[in-house]
Amino acid sequence: MDFAFTAEEEAFRADLRAFLDAEVPDWWRGMFVDDERTMPFTRELCRMLAGRGWLTMAWPPEHGGAGASVWMQAIVREEMWAREEPRGPQYMNLNYIGPLVMRFGTPEQQARFLPPMAQGEVIWTQGFSEPDAGSDLASLITRAEDRGDHFIVNGQKIWTSYADAPADWCLLLTRTNRDAPKHHGISVLLVDMTTPGITVRPIDTMAGPHEFNEVFLDDVRVPRECLLGEQDHGWDVIVAGLTFERVGIARYARAGRVIEVLVEYANATGRGDDPAVRDRLADMRARYEAARLLNYRAVSMQAAGVVPTIEASVARMHNTQLEQQVGHVGLELLGPLGRLRSKDPLAPLEGEIHRYWTRNIPTTVAAGTLEIQKNIVAQRGLGLPRAP
Amino acid sequence: MNLELSAEQRLLAETARAFVDRHGTDASAVDPWPTMVGAGWSGLLIPEDQGGAGGGMVDVALVCEALGRGPVSSPLIASGVLAALPVLWLGSAEQRERWLPGLAAGATVGTLALLEPGMRDEWDAPRIAGAASLSGKKVLVPWAVGADVMVVVTADGLRLLEVADETVRVDAHDTLDGEPTGLVMFDGATAEPLGGTADAKDVLDRVLDHAAIAELAFAVGAAERALDLSVQHAKDRTQFGRPIGSFQAVAHRCADMRADVDACRYLAYQAAWALDRDPATAVLAVTAAKSYANDAIRRVFLNAHQVHGAIGFSTEHDLHTFTRRAKAFELTHGSTARHRDRLATAMGLGTRR
Repeated sequence: MDFAFTAEEEAFRADLRAFLDAEVPDWWRGMFVDDERTMPFTRELCRMLAGRGWLTMAWPPEHGGAGASVWMQAIVREEMWAREEPRGPQYMNLNYIGPLVMRFGTPEQQARFLPPMAQGEVIWTQGFSEPDAGSDLASLITRAEDRGDHFIVNGQKIWTSYADAPADWCLLLTRTNRDAPKHHGISVLLVDMTTPGITVRPIDTMAGPHEFNEVFLDDVRVPRECLLGEQDHGWDVIVAGLTFERVGIARYARAGRVIEVLVEYANATGRGDDPAVRDRLADMRARYEAARLLNYRAVSMQAAGVVPTIEASVARMHNTQLEQQVGHVGLELLGPLGRLRSKDPLAPLEGEIHRYWTRNIPTTVAAGTLEIQKNIVAQRGLGLPRAP
Repeated sequence: MNLELSAEQRLLAETARAFVDRHGTDASAVDPWPTMVGAGWSGLLIPEDQGGAGGGMVDVALVCEALGRGPVSSPLIASGVLAALPVLWLGSAEQRERWLPGLAAGATVGTLALLEPGMRDEWDAPRIAGAASLSGKKVLVPWAVGADVMVVVTADGLRLLEVADETVRVDAHDTLDGEPTGLVMFDGATAEPLGGTADAKDVLDRVLDHAAIAELAFAVGAAERALDLSVQHAKDRTQFGRPIGSFQAVAHRCADMRADVDACRYLAYQAAWALDRDPATAVLAVTAAKSYANDAIRRVFLNAHQVHGAIGFSTEHDLHTFTRRAKAFELTHGSTARHRDRLATAMGLGTRR
């Protein structure tokens, strides 16, 4: 056991921090704010990262990466997430859409789709949830009809982040076989978002106008060469993708940064000696340590060549609940002024804590609800029987 | 960064686990201490040139975690941590020479007498005056019953005394966990100084940090057993025609227990590692671990009892032995509030130092 990063890793973190200090502008507040500068900035930053070899450094060399260790990846995730992910939507390319193309894609698909990701030139979105398929994702009904050299897709996706970025491509879950058991008739299509028949409608949320979208698919023609993995076996692709995703986001790092901001705020406002404030913030720090270590456990397993499954779910249980708690405790510390949003000149900390709390209301719902994570732990980890 | 056990650490953990599985939970079985001493566990923190095994807190944590699964009752922490470390860190060459080899070999059992009535927890200042002839009362002294040597914390620093005559009287407490914890009354007992007054508080804090993490590791083992028992019960117990573990209300309690136990385990490992590296900078890791675990271990046992239903309250079932130890852990070696306050300072909160 060793709970320290190596000198080489620390040096890399310092370089990355210096780069981000220089390149991330003061106005950056993450993706989901009503500011037209966000998308051009994330595209430019990704190009710069690509130029330094940092964008896909974790990918194998044959796909344009440097084969960096999983710990280097963890450092990138921490530094990015602590700054509200300045890579924008492209973190998904690096974390799991690219790796899925490497694992399930044909050589032609790899040659076509991976280089634009490695160069930071393409925005992907994921079409998973449907109005009637949320936690029960496999009950999705968006239909892809096999027409030989192409598929015709009809249906609707919802809660689709970044679709109005606008996204260039979509990793789309479709049903290709309605007669098979529900997990066995699903196929993954790689869909050009400029294809006729695709309509994107933003959904206004508590966090702002650009968090989620509905995507309507009306007789959308998708060439067969855009089928990822085997037809009707898309569920295997998704299970692999969700596992990547659960350890792909260093949510604890953002929580850790917010805790630091709250410590500075408490000290600056003369409340650093208030026993109640000390107790609450120390509690958050301890929870942060727990979440961080459980993420590190999953990464350690990856470093040892083992794919974490329930460990990823345990880490996610901690991560998501930590983020929500830190938001609540932060607003509690601000008191009545915590109601003020970022556009109000009196908003403490420029509304950062308010925004953080709001952003994390759906954190325990997205990418597999907290209850679904607990089901995974109970059934796959502890061997408890499924509900009938 | 690497949270996997090394080959040596895995071997130690497996050896300890196998010992606990053999020893079982039968308190009337043979005394486990000689076997533990034979394995070198009594002297894990004592250097090899003083007769010990020259190990570290990570080793102690791995052994204690296994012991918690019994739970196996032994003077390992009282003697090998609470008594050995002050002697090692503050003792004169003569004091170390006299006591450490015996503590390492298990021939001598030591303990630390700290708490007095009225102290909120171990971090409060004791009142007993430090004199060559000690008088006064210490409570909840671990393994006081049968201890050969005591490190006594006084208002003026630490003192070392040999339990030799009627000037030291030990009465066993009636505790929830049944450990041989004692009320110790000194009546003019001869006690020699152990180190000076100036550094006593810092050294004591470090000793307590080590003991807290050893106890935490033990509690992790106990909590893991409580989880195992709960999962087994949830699979075996049928109600409404189904194993109760198929109900999400029960299954999710078990998943929460898994998440809590895992968190406590890695917090304990991190703190143990930090103590081995540099005790002076380990405060953040130690206080985060202990304050988190006080709440989390309590949650684990609330969930375990709820999953077990009435049988968990019965002493015919094993669960209660773990529950008792876990509650003792929560109440010992610093309150949640105390550790959070120390953590707040380590995080940079406030103007106090």
